[in-house]
Amino acid sequence: METLFLSLTVLLAAGILPLLGHRLFTLMKACYVALTITGCVIGLYSLCPISQLPSQSTLVVDWLHIFQLQFSLDSLSTFFLIPVFFVCPLAVLYVFHYMNKKAEHARTGVNFFFFNLLIIAMALVVIADNMISFALSWEIMSLASFFLVLHEYEQETTRRAGYIYLLFTQLGALCIFLGMGVGYGYTQSLDFAPLSTLPEGLKLWMFCLVLVGFGSKAGVFPIHIWLPYAHPAAPSNISAIMSGVMIKMGIYGVVRFYGLLDISSPVAGQIVLSFGIVSGVLGVIYALGKQDIKKLLAYSSVENIGVILIGLGVGMIGATQGNTGMAIFGFVGGLLHVLNHSLFKSLLFLGAGTVAKQTGTRQLDQLGGLIKRMPLTGKSFLIGSVSISGLPPFNGFVSEFLIYIGAFQGLVLGGMHCVFAMLAILALALIGGLAAACFTRIVGIVFLGEPRADNSAAAKEAGWTMTFPMVILAASCLIIGVWPEPFVHYAFKGVETLLVQTTLDEVLLLEITQKMALASQVFLGLFVVLLVARKFLYRGKQVQSGPTWGCGFTQPTVRIQYTGTSYAMSIVEFFRPMVRLHTHYAGIKRIFPSQASYETHVDDIAEQTLIERIVEPLLFLLGKLRWIQHGHIQLYIGYIIITILVALLCISEGPREILRGLL
Amino acid sequence: MINILEVILVLILLTVLLSLGSTRLMALVRIMVLQGVLVSLIPLFLKSHEILTFGSVVFYLAMVIIKGILIPALLYRAVKHVSIQREIEPFVGYHASIVAGLAVLLAAVFMANSLKLTLPEGRELILVCAVTTMASGFFLMLARKKAITQVIGYLMLENGIYLIGNALTQHHHNLYIVEFGVLLDLLVAVMVMGIILNNINHAFDDVDTTLLGQLKD
Amino acid sequence: MISFLSLVLALLAAPLYPGIILKVKAFFAGKKGPPLLIKYYTLLKLLQKGSVYSTSSSFVFTLGPVVSFAAAIFPLCFFPFAGSASLVSFYGDVVLLFYIMGIGRFFTVVAALDTASPFEGMGAAREVFFSTLAELAIFAILILFYRLTGSLSLNDYFHGENIITLAGVSGALIVLVIVALFMVLLTENSRVPVDDPATHLELTMIHEVMILDHSGPDLALIELGAFYKLFFYAAFIIQLIFPFTAPFSILNMLLFFILMALVYVAVGVIESIMARFKMDLVPKFILTSFALVFFAVILTMGVLQ
Repeated sequence: METLFLSLTVLLAAGILPLLGHRLFTLMKACYVALTITGCVIGLYSLCPISQLPSQSTLVVDWLHIFQLQFSLDSLSTFFLIPVFFVCPLAVLYVFHYMNKKAEHARTGVNFFFFNLLIIAMALVVIADNMISFALSWEIMSLASFFLVLHEYEQETTRRAGYIYLLFTQLGALCIFLGMGVGYGYTQSLDFAPLSTLPEGLKLWMFCLVLVGFGSKAGVFPIHIWLPYAHPAAPSNISAIMSGVMIKMGIYGVVRFYGLLDISSPVAGQIVLSFGIVSGVLGVIYALGKQDIKKLLAYSSVENIGVILIGLGVGMIGATQGNTGMAIFGFVGGLLHVLNHSLFKSLLFLGAGTVAKQTGTRQLDQLGGLIKRMPLTGKSFLIGSVSISGLPPFNGFVSEFLIYIGAFQGLVLGGMHCVFAMLAILALALIGGLAAACFTRIVGIVFLGEPRADNSAAAKEAGWTMTFPMVILAASCLIIGVWPEPFVHYAFKGVETLLVQTTLDEVLLLEITQKMALASQVFLGLFVVLLVARKFLYRGKQVQSGPTWGCGFTQPTVRIQYTGTSYAMSIVEFFRPMVRLHTHYAGIKRIFPSQASYETHVDDIAEQTLIERIVEPLLFLLGKLRWIQHGHIQLYIGYIIITILVALLCISEGPREILRGLL
Repeated sequence: MINILEVILVLILLTVLLSLGSTRLMALVRIMVLQGVLVSLIPLFLKSHEILTFGSVVFYLAMVIIKGILIPALLYRAVKHVSIQREIEPFVGYHASIVAGLAVLLAAVFMANSLKLTLPEGRELILVCAVTTMASGFFLMLARKKAITQVIGYLMLENGIYLIGNALTQHHHNLYIVEFGVLLDLLVAVMVMGIILNNINHAFDDVDTTLLGQLKD
Repeated sequence: MISFLSLVLALLAAPLYPGIILKVKAFFAGKKGPPLLIKYYTLLKLLQKGSVYSTSSSFVFTLGPVVSFAAAIFPLCFFPFAGSASLVSFYGDVVLLFYIMGIGRFFTVVAALDTASPFEGMGAAREVFFSTLAELAIFAILILFYRLTGSLSLNDYFHGENIITLAGVSGALIVLVIVALFMVLLTENSRVPVDDPATHLELTMIHEVMILDHSGPDLALIELGAFYKLFFYAAFIIQLIFPFTAPFSILNMLLFFILMALVYVAVGVIESIMARFKMDLVPKFILTSFALVFFAVILTMGVLQ
């Protein structure tokens, strides 16, 4: 625990440094990067022994005389700290060449400060052990990330994205605090421990409230709207961390509160599973429909959050139904996917950032052929894409495989549970196929073929600090895919602290993982053998190169290549009722046609519904109350006094009695 | 070893799914022939029913003739005579319809399990089948544009009602009288529909029911 | 040992069967048709040639054939041919196998996109779409099998005491599975009515158009991989139709290989008497196969046990 706080102190120091010394730009960056990496390495080191020892360590600090800040580290927190301390330093290293505009030195310094504040806040969220410390670190995390999104604040779209993000994150926080308020109202204690004594109905209400709150942070489907705005607006290292690590804090919240509340009704699991299925399927469909690489990746985050929630939902249903196999495989799969997603999603965001920086565009249909111009980025991106599609022998498959096994074990249950397990399996299968479609699209259009525009033809490989983190992340994707046992073990340790009531047996889990890993290794071996055999087959043969066979067409241009839009169109159209697809076609008219245009875009149904059904009526309603705002400061003071009086009246005993009577 | 009743019921369910997924009108009519014949065969294989009497034989024959020959013939005539286009125009797409059919089936299984009726042995599947057929009949009426598909949906609904009667009753005579009445009503309905279709066709040059919306004040 | 032997036999025999399809089609067309061993000759010819690579393509293009071949050969190691135990098996191997096939597809598609050809992109887009839907049907089959046997391994499905077969207790459900699986076979292996490999127009193809630019040994790997994939699905169907409960013997093996020809004849007959679907009907076709299996799954829930 002390080592952990040491690492956080180092991180804080590393964050303050650029604020002071931003004038010496390159030196400041080098020091910042070195110090932050040191901090994270210390952090990783501090985690090492604890994951083997079952003992908890706790730290209590008094704050403002009335509150106690309490932090403790158990194996669930440890598991969530791994991505924080592993992915963040890589994103920091990436910054060295990524933010190289010397003119913006002050802004870069501020960005670095908030970045480290975000890392610290995330670490604190994970180890917070009572409501007040959790709320405090949660808010620091949200605000720090808000300022990070606003990095390019002079652009209108960025500011808009920032405000949307702030709105969602604060509404989410409101729900979380409301949920905590429900708990506090009953237990009269800010500690987490007494929450398990709540009555069952109250537990479920509290869980639903915090689920909505954490869901808005994690990007669960109907409340994911900020993701596709904030991620493209933020710099790529920021979106890598936000999408790879920060949104996982929402998942951590769900898991932690589920463990604390110790809910015995399967409804919680069913709700989580349904959210997971909806986010997973719709997330990947919208990802298919998007043009902007970073928007696409943002939607793909929604999809992966869906996969994680499917795993957790399966686990929750299993835990409440006494089906320990289902519980273990579901939870472990879900948790492992948290780690996996943080690896490949940050890899993909870093790759997208490199592409955007080197070519100057994020539009899919203007890129192409980059793997020959940026080989390292291309190869890492390819590996990341295979991993995120959940294909063996990479890490995405391991977690999806475990979730599959969990869901299959749920098929023996009767009634509704069986249907949910079935839906989970089918949703995973659908998500798997669609994710493969989505990522063959992005790899194929961006990195393969011929460049579709001049700027991508002229692109060059980025500096080593940008490619090196991607290579590391790609390598770790393969390592987890081929040797998953230790990571599965860590995830299992995390699940153990979650489900204290039931005794869990790790043997079956490890056995199946081991065999699966062995099969993946054999497949990898087979692949290598075949690669060698292919070399052998080509020995002494004539190998020529020529133009692509144009099926009889002899004047090909790069413009006739299949575009990302047309690649995905038939799939998107298939899911039409759930996706709003708009096409504008100015057709060919007259004998000598002028330029024809064809445009199509996919609108988010959740966003549209939100605007039509909630925002516009709300604006209309609030427009009626405009007379309250009239500009006289005296009257405003009057409002404040009245509000305080009303609040004081409400706090007095009477209403609380009524509330208790209702419950 | 293989229970013929179950096979027939599974086949009926398959015809229901097929009817939801079929794109051609004539194919739909053919599916309805198959469904009608299968449904009218059901009572023959019910365990509790007695040996065939003269009355019941006549009844079954009449059923098969009406459901398998008479009504399809009328439908066939309507399709030919009104020269309706071959395609069924859906409000709800075919893919969605098939998935909806599966969802209905799933719901029916749950309903049959949760109703906990004291049914004679082996009748649960009939109940499931009946509920699915009825609900899909409604669905066809809702989700397709043409008047003729609405009639077919109604026909399916009737098949479902007949199956429910089979599942629930022990005394078959009463049921059959009622059922026979319904069937005759249906026959008349199909005939009337034929005439109306003809007239709609004259009035609008198409049999799209959405056009009927123009008739309101 | 026996498992290994049967695997080797299967690997050797797989290219024979597509010859049967050609023979059947020739029979329907009133022609003599190519010799039965035509596919072996084709493979030999391809292996002796060199290759021409597109200037647009990168190393990904050469990875395509290798990965897709590895992904086609790998599942056969897990398959219990003719009642012999599988070479390797573990709880959950079916999930792995279908995902391994997925990675094969991933690289085929990516290799197709690497050529910068509009036609290959079109084929790739169709391939990913249709195979996604087919995957849905396959996992519905796995759900059904789990409900029937409580297992997740090919070996447990087809080898030992409690095997899934048409003649078993839930035979009626297996009929549905066989029909659905046959539809999936046609889809996944790009046969008529989903795809027509023999058409002359690239615009209308799915799989063939994706491998237009491959040549020489690369093409041989792809072809051989395609034969293995077809063999896998055909064997799956045969194991469902005919239970090999008797202890392993040469007779069993012989019977298995003869029965296998049946599936290929069926494919050939379908190719001869049917036309290819319109592209927008293909999703419906695959969805029907899913509906059939899911229907069987629902029937296992409470009503038919």
